Amino acid sequence: MTVNVALGHVSNAFMIAALVIYSLSVVAFAGDFAFGRPRRAAATARGQARDRAAALASVGAASAASTTADPAQAPAPATAGDEPADDAGTMHELAVPALRAIREAGRWVVAAVAFAAFGAAAHTTAVITRGLAVHRAPWGNMYEFVTALTCVAVIFFLFAMIRYRAWTLGVFVMGAVVVTLGLAETLIYTAPGDLVPALQSYWLDIHVTAMTLATGIFFVPAVLGFVYLWVDRYTRRVAAGRAAPGNGIVRRLPGIEQLDRLTYRTIVFGFPVWTFGVIAGAIWADQAWGRYWGWDPVETWAFITWVLYAAFLHARATAGWRGRRAHYVQLLGFASLIFNILVVQVFIAGMHSYSGVS
Amino acid sequence: MLRALSRGALPARALPVRARRRRWVVLAAAVLAGVLLIVVLAAGWPGGGNNGVTTVGGNASAVVYPAGHRPLAPEFTGTTLTGSKLSFSSYRGKVVVLNFWGSWCVPCREEAPILAAVAAKYQPSEVSFLGVDVRDTTASALAFTHGFHVGYPSVSDQSSAITLDFTAKVPIAGTPTTLVVDRTGHIAGAVFGTVTYPDLTAILAKVTAKGG
Amino acid sequence: MTDVRAPETDPFDPAAEQDDQPRPGPSSPGAAFGPADWLKWAWRQLTSMRIALILLFLLALGSVPGSMLPQQGGNPSGVQQYYASHPDLAPWLNRLGLFNVFAAPWFAAIYLLLFASLVGCVVPRTFRLAGSARTLPPRAPRHLARLPRSAEYTTALPPREAVEVAARVLSGHGFRLRRPDDAGSAQDWVSAEKGYLREAGNLLFHLALLGVLVSVALGGLFGYKADRLLVQGQSFADTVSALDEFHPGRFVTAADLGPFTMTLNRFDASYIASGEQRGQPSAFDARVTYTERPGGPARTFDLDVNRPLSVDGAKVYLIGHGYAPEFTVTDARGHVVYKQATPFVAGAAGNFLSEGVVKVPDAQPEQLGFTGVFVPTAANVGGTLESVFPAADNPMVSLIAYAGNLGMDSGASQSVYELDTTAMHRLTASPQVLQPGQSLKLPDGRGTVTFTGYVPWVSLAITHDPGQLPALICGIAALGGLLLSFMIRRRRVFVRARTGPLAQGQRVVTTVQVGGLARTDAGGGFEAEFATLAAELRSAHEQAAPAPSAPSAPSGEPAQPARPAQQQAPQRHEGE
Repeated sequence: MTVNVALGHVSNAFMIAALVIYSLSVVAFAGDFAFGRPRRAAATARGQARDRAAALASVGAASAASTTADPAQAPAPATAGDEPADDAGTMHELAVPALRAIREAGRWVVAAVAFAAFGAAAHTTAVITRGLAVHRAPWGNMYEFVTALTCVAVIFFLFAMIRYRAWTLGVFVMGAVVVTLGLAETLIYTAPGDLVPALQSYWLDIHVTAMTLATGIFFVPAVLGFVYLWVDRYTRRVAAGRAAPGNGIVRRLPGIEQLDRLTYRTIVFGFPVWTFGVIAGAIWADQAWGRYWGWDPVETWAFITWVLYAAFLHARATAGWRGRRAHYVQLLGFASLIFNILVVQVFIAGMHSYSGVS
Repeated sequence: MLRALSRGALPARALPVRARRRRWVVLAAAVLAGVLLIVVLAAGWPGGGNNGVTTVGGNASAVVYPAGHRPLAPEFTGTTLTGSKLSFSSYRGKVVVLNFWGSWCVPCREEAPILAAVAAKYQPSEVSFLGVDVRDTTASALAFTHGFHVGYPSVSDQSSAITLDFTAKVPIAGTPTTLVVDRTGHIAGAVFGTVTYPDLTAILAKVTAKGG
Repeated sequence: MTDVRAPETDPFDPAAEQDDQPRPGPSSPGAAFGPADWLKWAWRQLTSMRIALILLFLLALGSVPGSMLPQQGGNPSGVQQYYASHPDLAPWLNRLGLFNVFAAPWFAAIYLLLFASLVGCVVPRTFRLAGSARTLPPRAPRHLARLPRSAEYTTALPPREAVEVAARVLSGHGFRLRRPDDAGSAQDWVSAEKGYLREAGNLLFHLALLGVLVSVALGGLFGYKADRLLVQGQSFADTVSALDEFHPGRFVTAADLGPFTMTLNRFDASYIASGEQRGQPSAFDARVTYTERPGGPARTFDLDVNRPLSVDGAKVYLIGHGYAPEFTVTDARGHVVYKQATPFVAGAAGNFLSEGVVKVPDAQPEQLGFTGVFVPTAANVGGTLESVFPAADNPMVSLIAYAGNLGMDSGASQSVYELDTTAMHRLTASPQVLQPGQSLKLPDGRGTVTFTGYVPWVSLAITHDPGQLPALICGIAALGGLLLSFMIRRRRVFVRARTGPLAQGQRVVTTVQVGGLARTDAGGGFEAEFATLAAELRSAHEQAAPAPSAPSAPSGEPAQPARPAQQQAPQRHEGE
């Protein structure tokens, strides 16, 4: 089937549009950091009280109105053990509808989320039109792979951010997406084209799709891992007296525990997808190359990535390895994933060299 | 670590039922792990298996099959290098030295003079020599037989189909392979690899002897 | 197990061996550490999470050189090249097994230890899980309001009936229940627990990994891999002689091959002719005829890159292709001493510029050899002959002729793609270019070589792996176990019903407290589940109540149905 070049240009236009809109979203998230509502903590505590009342009503206690007898007291004995930094930017999974929560977070957040959502729509359109232009799943070379995985990352992150009301993480993740997408557009852009016969198989739709999804999902905890390490380092320096407490940025970020939990949950989401992708790849390799595992460099690094993420999951259950060390492991896992895509597929000769980059 | 170990130390006799059962479980797990270890070690992991090569040169192994344990040589028909039809069944009643060779095969070239010499020695008696030319072309094969003065015919086996039939009976791993078929059409002896004069003559002596 | 406050160590998993648990020491206190104790200690260390973690790191680290250095199994020529370019370093790397990492004993040691650790951890837990299949949930704690999730309301039902209703509701949701043996009439409770499949999923995952290892070993023992390069028009029978490479497993013999025969009827390759992707292959197609056994019916099959042929328990794969130019060589006496298609192999130059060798060991009076370059679409680019397109639109061959001793009459076997010219002298001063049909006359009347045409060749892989299907099944089982262990949470719900203070003239009022707690909320959503459950319990009580429940002043603490988890007493977020 001939490639629809015009549609390819349309796809590229949407991609660039997405890039621009994402940049605006990053600016807005940064603006929220600098100029957003200062007393976030108080607002959220009030919000919590309101939400508890709302939840009460949903359970059906008729005396809902009377239970606003200072709910702030109730949590007091429990928060004794929490770090002060947790008060600000706590993440909630509340009964408050998402849109209202966004509105309550301030104008900057509203703008940022709007930009991010529009950008995601443009990005998705770009990916879909690319697929239509080439009459196949649009992840057949490195450019397509990177653009698709960043789309997955953005959508996944938006869901997570809105669910956990973690607005302050937006600047980091969207910033990373902008950088990645920008590099993809400028350095490895590939015009839409056909795939070599080896890739003309329905397994592309299964294996590479799974890898694209998994990489996009892992993108998010990778960024969050860096945030975690930064907050952790700052907290330790404060505890050691080497830094002044009350750093404006850190105070706005979610607490260590929440960052850890969010990272963990996203990795738990992505790990089975990665496992499935490796299994699907093995089945495809057997169909194409006669063996389901041959320690081809790309296969080996996919295995290394899997082992490192498995190590992360084990580390969280091992005394002395929770917290910072586990995040080092998780970041090492993502680094091996990136190394696999950027270096191994391109430079190390093997049967997997389908990047389309010479 | 040792501090942790010394905590909770219990005399063996005083161990409750649960702990005793745990010991058995641990033992079972250890045995399972050990069995697994052995299985995998014996696996010879893919990639570490025997590296087979088509030409078996150098170390030959000569084998004689005792009477009663000789596999029946399969029947085959083929075209000789000169184009005429040949049927193996026409060799029944004679001792046949069947040599699998190729003009491209270095050990085959090495043993060619030996085969020629043995052929010359046994020609007067009822020993026939027949070649099976494997994975070769007529032009190269004829050039080989002319160059090495091979006096006996060879059947073309470009696809190795004849070799396949024989591999079902004796483990032919490549060329050169020389089989000695007795008068009843059973494979009585074999040399897997380069033939040597003493080996081949010894086998022929046994097979051509009365009752061989 | 009776303390259900969020404790330091996980209350849910008696099977989880926390790394900081005290391990039993010597069998008699105060005695020295005997060898049996050392073994036990070593075993305990091996099966600890920490060691498993370290082994995982080692496994990942050990795989790195296997991907960076050329490996003997997949790239033997690359290993040779490495030796050539790093003559001092290469032997040392070889001693460390770095050219065959995945078959090296140290790598095997890592994964074997890892699996031993896995087995030592998983098997006891499996027994424990089996044993706990009938254990009951713990007793309901007194103060349900202290749990991470709790709700409270009143109902007119007496406590026992209220608890019965609650038990029915919970049982309907699949919870395992426990009732007290000694409840009075003033209060009653029921404990409910759910999510036992989580541990089962976890164990299934780890055991399935073990299954994958065993499957791979099975394939290694009883399977084989073989290669064959087949020129169009040629046939081959599946026997060792006919194979270019044969790597059998430990228990495989030559007799296990075949007995199919296959002929390559036709091979076609098409390439993109224009645009940015000019020269990129667009389709391959190999038409083969095969018989499953000698004398059997002939069948045809279209072999393709993603479409192998299954025959006689083996699978035949199309791996690559190339060109085989046809040559006819006549020697000094005018005899045709060579007449065949010679496979040439494409090099790094691109567009299928291929190199090959013609050996004529039986030319008289002297053996002849030729090194050649086949150019499918030849063009003169700046003085050199290059191929500008992979299809054979303008085929040409360039030859250099040699005469002398090829080295084939004795000694080691040679590669058919390399010419050893140490004992030969060159006949032609410069490479001679031939078009199809052209001949090259060799000097001194040594004969002629004619380039008569070309045919394509394909490279096939023939493999048999009995461990393939078991490995797939174990892989899917592992994935299933993984999903189970991630998605299912162990959770407990308790319901306590207590007769409230009876004021004068008031009807019976029972306070129902519902409390719930989940293991680290990996998937999230327990709040939602708890809220739904609490609402359902309440409406069940309302429906069963003889009279509408009186909305009285709240007794005890205010209901807090959805307290965010982080406001609870410090709860170590346990990993899985």
